[in-house]
Amino acid sequence: MALLVSQSEAPNQAAGAVNPKWTWRRIKEVLAAYAMIAPFMAILLTFSVYVLYFGFRMSLRDAQGLSDGSFVGLQNYKDLLWADEYRARDFWLAVKTTFTFMAGCLLTQMPVAFVLAYILNHIPLVRLRAVLRAAFFLPVVINTVIIALLFRMLFNPDQGVINSFLGLLGLPSNIDWMMNSSYVMPLMLIAAFWQWTGYHMVYFLSQLQTIDPSLYEAAKLDGASPRRVLWRITLPHMRPAITFAMVTSAIGGLQVFDLVFLLFPNAAYGPGGVAKTLVAFVYDQGFSQQFLTGMASAAGWLTFGLILIISLIQFKVLGLGKHGEA
Amino acid sequence: MFNGKSSRKLNSVGPVQGIGLFFLLVVGVIYLVPLFWLANSSFLPESEIFQFPPKILTSPREAFQLYTLDSYRTAFGEHWNAGWALGVSVVVTVGGILLTLVLCSLCAYAFAYLEFPGKGVIFIAILATMMLPMGTMIAPYLGTIRMLHLKDNLLGLIIPYAGSAFGVFLLRQFYIKIPVALIESARIDGAGHLKIWWNVIVPLSKPALAALSIVQFRAIWNDFLNPMIILRSENLFTATVRIQVMDSTNFSKPYDAIIATGFVTALVPIIFFLVFQKQFIEGLAGGIKE
Repeated sequence: MALLVSQSEAPNQAAGAVNPKWTWRRIKEVLAAYAMIAPFMAILLTFSVYVLYFGFRMSLRDAQGLSDGSFVGLQNYKDLLWADEYRARDFWLAVKTTFTFMAGCLLTQMPVAFVLAYILNHIPLVRLRAVLRAAFFLPVVINTVIIALLFRMLFNPDQGVINSFLGLLGLPSNIDWMMNSSYVMPLMLIAAFWQWTGYHMVYFLSQLQTIDPSLYEAAKLDGASPRRVLWRITLPHMRPAITFAMVTSAIGGLQVFDLVFLLFPNAAYGPGGVAKTLVAFVYDQGFSQQFLTGMASAAGWLTFGLILIISLIQFKVLGLGKHGEA
Repeated sequence: MFNGKSSRKLNSVGPVQGIGLFFLLVVGVIYLVPLFWLANSSFLPESEIFQFPPKILTSPREAFQLYTLDSYRTAFGEHWNAGWALGVSVVVTVGGILLTLVLCSLCAYAFAYLEFPGKGVIFIAILATMMLPMGTMIAPYLGTIRMLHLKDNLLGLIIPYAGSAFGVFLLRQFYIKIPVALIESARIDGAGHLKIWWNVIVPLSKPALAALSIVQFRAIWNDFLNPMIILRSENLFTATVRIQVMDSTNFSKPYDAIIATGFVTALVPIIFFLVFQKQFIEGLAGGIKE
């Protein structure tokens, strides 16, 4: 959103910035400007551009722990993608886990968030609306560490509240959410759903409230059915907002780490590591027993490229650019 | 947009809206159950934490009689020292927010009011960094921190927070709405840019600075991956890292201490959220009216 809004403004300013006379006053202004952006730019450049460069350099070396290692070319990348059987299998499993998680997040959170926002927007009691909005937003402000541990306790197979509750309803109460691989992804999605649906709901609600009421009144006068109003007025207006929420949610979902690191006991990522996402995989390469920082950097760059491509495709397919703002 | 109708009373809620409202209330209550369980469990003796149904439902009186601060004693006692970790979290969060505010608003000032070669390109480049999934770069990130001799140092944790592209964007959007005449009249009075920034712009931009503070507060207070990889000494661990350390006990995890510390680390942003709800939602989810 931010990027696209400014693209239209910035070139004009750059053009306006051309000041033909380099007077003393002008030089002073330029120097002042550089001095004012310098501290921020130093931090931003160090922790984005330099880190990316440093990561690329390390990814071509068999760096380990504090040692820089020697140049190995693309060996790390080859190992991750196919050459090292075990590592490649782990990497592709992490790719699958991460994309399943992202898709699951979008499919569960977006529709529910929209429906909740839609209903909330039609409730004419402002105070109550504010209370409900706050209730749904609460998990957004809490740290993922305690959310993950909270869900691990609630879904504990033996003592957890959820299984006891399922038993009360006469449903199977012996589901092993932690060690049965078919329940691992649902558990991750349930926790993420609880954490983020309120965030999307509040965003959708704010965007629903920007729709011009006169449009609804005109539709009412024309005798349009509520369903027709939803399809012809509400949804087209919400398209940029939905796109924006989907893109940011996907970028966040693809980088998930805290949740899976703590949801399963002792950072084991569930049975056979089925819950190990890409960032968790990167972390494991660089920070667990072997400290293969070169390998971790290569895995990081592969993941970085993958996520960037996905977000660019989303922008293109969902057509955020056409709308200019979200 | 429905503000015009909002003065209506409950009896004007139609049947469809009534069903919707009932549905929302039910979902809202279910939504709050995990937090309620966390709060309730933090006051129960360890043996009662995993009992079902929770006593608070079957016999509230019995539950209240059971309530104890034992979990908090364990968490804040000498062994786990959650109080110290929370103190470190406060230092890191306050330091991170202050540094962000100063550096981002200085930078945003230049982009809003000054003309310099490369301005447009640099601004787009700053915004573009928001799209980068830097979470994938933890290995070279830590390498860079180590190279700067900032590993196991709170500064190594705090300084990178200030490189917030979103912060520059947010403040610059606010600054360009401030009348230029204010800046120009200060210029005529002979004030330098630093002085104008501090005396004119900073006081005027308090709402935007508050929104940015909230965004950073939530991000820094809740951060886990950065402190976990950067900090090594136990006495520098932030609250989230401390909870993870408690959890990495292999046998009989101290769930009482985890729940008590976890509830406190969650309660701090919850209180801030309930007090500064408007700023929270504006900062995190974009401008909401009402």
